[in-house]
Amino acid sequence: MAFELAFAVLLRLVLVLSPLRRLLKDDSQLSSPLTSYSRLREGIYLFREGINPYSGGTFRHSPLFLALFSTVIPDSEAFAAILWACVDVLGAWALVRIWRARGRVGTSKRDSLIAALYLLNPYIFLPSLSLSTSTFDTTLQLVSLMFAAQGQASASLLTLAFTAHLSLPSLLLLPPTVLLLLADPYSHLASPRPFNGKISKGLPLFAEFSAYFCSLVLASTVVSDGSGWIINSWGAGLLLPDLTPNPGLWWYFFTEMFDHFRPFFLMIFSVHLVIYVAPLCIKFQHDPLYAAFLLLGVLGIFKPYPTLSDPGLFLSLISLFPETYPHLRYPIVTTLLHLHAFLLLPLFHHLWIATGTGNANFFYASTLVFGIANGGALLDCVWAGLRVAMGEEREGYVIVQE
Amino acid sequence: MRWFAFFSLILVQCSLSAAHSGEEYHEELKLRPLPDGKLAARFAFTTLLKGAIPRAPTNLTVNDESQHYTLFPLAMGQLLREYAITELHLTLNAGKWDYDRWGYPEEPGVGSGAELWTWMGDGAPTSIDERWKAIQNAHAGLFCASLGSMDTQRTTSPTRAFPPTGDLPRLPAPHVHRLRHATLPAEHVCTENLTPFLKLLPCPAHAGIAALLAPHKVFDADWHGLGVHVRWRAGKGVELVMTVQAVFDPVRMSAERKRDWSFHSVFDRTIPRSCPVATTSLIHVELPPPGDGSYTLNPAPSTANQAVATFSISKDLPELDVTMKWGEESRFAYPLDASSTPLSDFSVQRTLKGSSQTHGQLSIVIRNNRPTELSVLYLETMPWHVEFYLHTLRITGPDGQQCNDLFSNMTYTPPVPHAQPAMLQAMLTLPPLTTLRLTMDARKSFLRYTEHPPDAQRGWDLPPAVFVTQSASGGASKRVYTPALLVDLATPDFSMPYNVIIMSCTLIALIFGSLFNILTRRFVVVKVDGNVPKVQ
Repeated sequence: MAFELAFAVLLRLVLVLSPLRRLLKDDSQLSSPLTSYSRLREGIYLFREGINPYSGGTFRHSPLFLALFSTVIPDSEAFAAILWACVDVLGAWALVRIWRARGRVGTSKRDSLIAALYLLNPYIFLPSLSLSTSTFDTTLQLVSLMFAAQGQASASLLTLAFTAHLSLPSLLLLPPTVLLLLADPYSHLASPRPFNGKISKGLPLFAEFSAYFCSLVLASTVVSDGSGWIINSWGAGLLLPDLTPNPGLWWYFFTEMFDHFRPFFLMIFSVHLVIYVAPLCIKFQHDPLYAAFLLLGVLGIFKPYPTLSDPGLFLSLISLFPETYPHLRYPIVTTLLHLHAFLLLPLFHHLWIATGTGNANFFYASTLVFGIANGGALLDCVWAGLRVAMGEEREGYVIVQE
Repeated sequence: MRWFAFFSLILVQCSLSAAHSGEEYHEELKLRPLPDGKLAARFAFTTLLKGAIPRAPTNLTVNDESQHYTLFPLAMGQLLREYAITELHLTLNAGKWDYDRWGYPEEPGVGSGAELWTWMGDGAPTSIDERWKAIQNAHAGLFCASLGSMDTQRTTSPTRAFPPTGDLPRLPAPHVHRLRHATLPAEHVCTENLTPFLKLLPCPAHAGIAALLAPHKVFDADWHGLGVHVRWRAGKGVELVMTVQAVFDPVRMSAERKRDWSFHSVFDRTIPRSCPVATTSLIHVELPPPGDGSYTLNPAPSTANQAVATFSISKDLPELDVTMKWGEESRFAYPLDASSTPLSDFSVQRTLKGSSQTHGQLSIVIRNNRPTELSVLYLETMPWHVEFYLHTLRITGPDGQQCNDLFSNMTYTPPVPHAQPAMLQAMLTLPPLTTLRLTMDARKSFLRYTEHPPDAQRGWDLPPAVFVTQSASGGASKRVYTPALLVDLATPDFSMPYNVIIMSCTLIALIFGSLFNILTRRFVVVKVDGNVPKVQ
C-alpha cells in the first residue's frame, strides 16, 4: 500500500507543477465558487489588506480557511500542492481504515485496491490538482466516517462538525453517523434486523455535535469579525447568488428560472435534499454505514454547488461494499453513462465558453447525462443493498419487488 | 382697497425673493484650434442665484418656500429644492476624448455615455439612496435620457476621485454630505437631449451664444457632450453651469481640406443679436502658438493678448461671425509626430484581454510623458459582471521588473452579485518618462436570463476608469477618463426556461420516484412456472 500512496503523491506533484495546473485552476467543474482556490487567495489577500472579505461576493469559503491560510499555512502554490496531495492521502488512509473496521480485518490485499480507487479516481484526482477545497470536505467526511466506524464518538462528531461547517449539506450525514456510532460498522446487508442500539443514547451525541458545531460558528464569527460570513458562505447554498456552471443540476435551472418563482424553487431544491435522510436511515437501520454511503450519493447529485469530487466520493466508497456487486443490475450502463458524461462535460464547456461554437444547452445536456449516471449508480446501489438480503436465486424462481 | 392689493403684492414679491438676492446670467464660448487641425469648442451658460443656500435635508419635512426665478430654470430649481441637492453633475457624452492630441478638456467630465454624480446631505426623512433614485428619474425626464437605469448595481461613492467642486454647507452633527456616482457607458447623446437642455436657458437658440447650437452640426462633431453642473459657492450662491463641448473637424468639412473655420462653417449659424439678460457674453478664441503659420482673425477682437482673443457681444453689435483663416496654407498638413509630443501629462490604454467567457485580464498601460514623477489616483468602478482578483494585481516596469510598491493607499469595495458594483481607488506613482503595465485577473459572471439586455450577444459596456492627477503644488487636479470597455458574457439559451424546468424536474422526479419505489416495495420470490407467488 505504501507504494500506491507514494505513486499517487508523486503523480499529483508532477502534474501540479506542470502547465496542466494552470488549465485546471479555474475550471468550474473542478472547483465551485464555494471551493475555488483563486477565490480563497483573493479572500486571504483582502483579509490581509484589512478589507472584510465577506463584504462582497467573491469570497465564500469558511472563515476557518481564512484563519488557517492567513496564519499557519504559507500562501504559496507549491506548498498548497503538497498540502492537497497529503490531504488526499489522508482521505485514502481513512477509507482503508473504514474498510478494515467494516471487515474486521487487519491489513488485507484489498487495501491497496481501495486506496488506489480513491487516489486515482479522476473525480477525486482532478479537483485536487485544481486545488479545490472540496478535497478538504471529502477527506474530512471520510475521516468522520472512519472515526464513527471505529466507535470514537467525539472525534467523529467533531470532524463531522468541521465538514458540515465547510459544506453545509453534509449536515445531513449526522443521523447515519449517530446511528453508526450507536450500532456497529459491520456488514449486515445480508441479514437485515431491526436497529438494536438504544436510540435514546443518540441524544447526547446530537447534543455533543451541536456543541461542536456552535463553537465552530462562534470561532468563525470571531475570526471574521461579524456574522457576515453566514450569508456569504452558507447562504450561497440556499440562495444561489453565483450561477457559474458546474456539473450539478441547480445552476442552469436557476439561470433560466422566472424571477417570481425563484424563491419557491430554491426552497423546494433545499428541502428536497432533506427528504432522503429519514427513509434511507430507516430502511438501512441494520447497516448505517450503507445509509451514509447512499446519502453521500444523494448529495453528489443534488448538492447546490457540487464539484466532481462529490460524486467521486460516492463512487470511491462503492469499493467498501463488495457484497453488493453481484446484485447490481446495470453496472455497465452506469459506467458508460459516466464515461459519456466525463468526456462530454469538459468538451461542451469548452465549446460554449471558450470557442463559442456551442451554446449553454450543450453543457446543460451533459450535466443531465451526468445526473442520470449518478442517479443510476445511486439507484443501483440502493437496489443491490436491499437485494443482498434475498440471497441467491434458485432455479424456477425469480426475485422481484412486489 | 386697490392700494392694499398693490402693497400686498409687493410684500409677497419681497418675501418670495427673500431666499436669494438676485440672479446673474453669464454666457461664454471658448474656441481652441488644436494642433491636429480640429477645433475644440466649449459653451458655458452660467446662472448664479446670488445668496441662495442649498436646502437643508432636515427641512424636507416642512413645506418649502415658493420658488420664483427670473433667469434660473424653474425645473432645475424645483428639483434641487425637492431633493435637497447640494451639488450635482450630469454629463452626456459621445466619442472618445483624445487627451494626447487635444490636451485636457475645459470641462473634465468627458467619459463616454452618461455620468451623474451628486453630493447630498443626510438627515432627511427619506434616505440618500431614495433621493438618489428620485434624482435620476427626475433628470431622466428633464433631459430625455435613460438615467433611471442607474440602479444600485451601478452606484458607487468614490469620494477620493470626485470631491465636491464647490463648497458644502455645514450640517448639524452627526449629519454629513454623501456622494452618489453612477455611469451608463452605453447611453447615447443626441438631439432629444439637446432640445430640453436649450429650453432651460434664458436665451435659447435665438439670441446670444446659444444661437450657435445647431443640433445637426453639434452632433456631427467628432466628439460632443452636454453637461449640467450645480454647485454652491459659499458667500456667492448656487451656481448652475450648463455646458456644451464639441470637437469639430474643419478640415473634414472644407472642400479644400483647409483648417480655416468660421461660425458659419462650423456651426452653420451666426450670432444674430445679443442675449439681453446676459450680464457678460464673451467669446474667447485661443490663438495658435507663434510657429504655427500666420493667420487672420475677423472681425477684430474686443481685446487680445498673446494667447487669447476675446469678443464681447454688446447690445449694439450687428450679426457676429468670427472667422479664422490661415491664408498661406493651401491645404492643412496633418502633424505626423502628433503622438510623439502628447499634450497630456500621461497617456493611458485600458483593455480587457482574453477570449474566454469565464476569465479575462484587465491590462492598463500608463505612460508618464513628463520628466517629473507624477502621482495619480486610479479609480475603477466595475459592475459585478466582472470581478477582479486583486491578489493577481501586478505592476511591471519597462524592463519587466515587478514594482507593486508604486501602487499604494488602496480602498476597495468588493462587488456583490446582483446588487453592488466593485470600486477600487488607489494611488499610482509614475516614474518620469516611464511606461508601466498594470495587470489584474478578472472573472466574468454568469447572469440570470432575465438580467441580460435584449441584445445580449452584443455584450456589456463597462464604465471608464478615471485617473485624477494629484498636483503637489496644490493646483487643480485633472480627471482623465479612459474609453469604456465592452465585455462578452456567456449567455444562456433564452428560449429554454420551460424546457430546462421540465427536464431538470423530470430528472429529479425520476431519481426521487425510483428511489422511493425501491425503498417502499417488498421483495418477493416468484415461481416462474405459473403457480401462485410465495411471499417471503
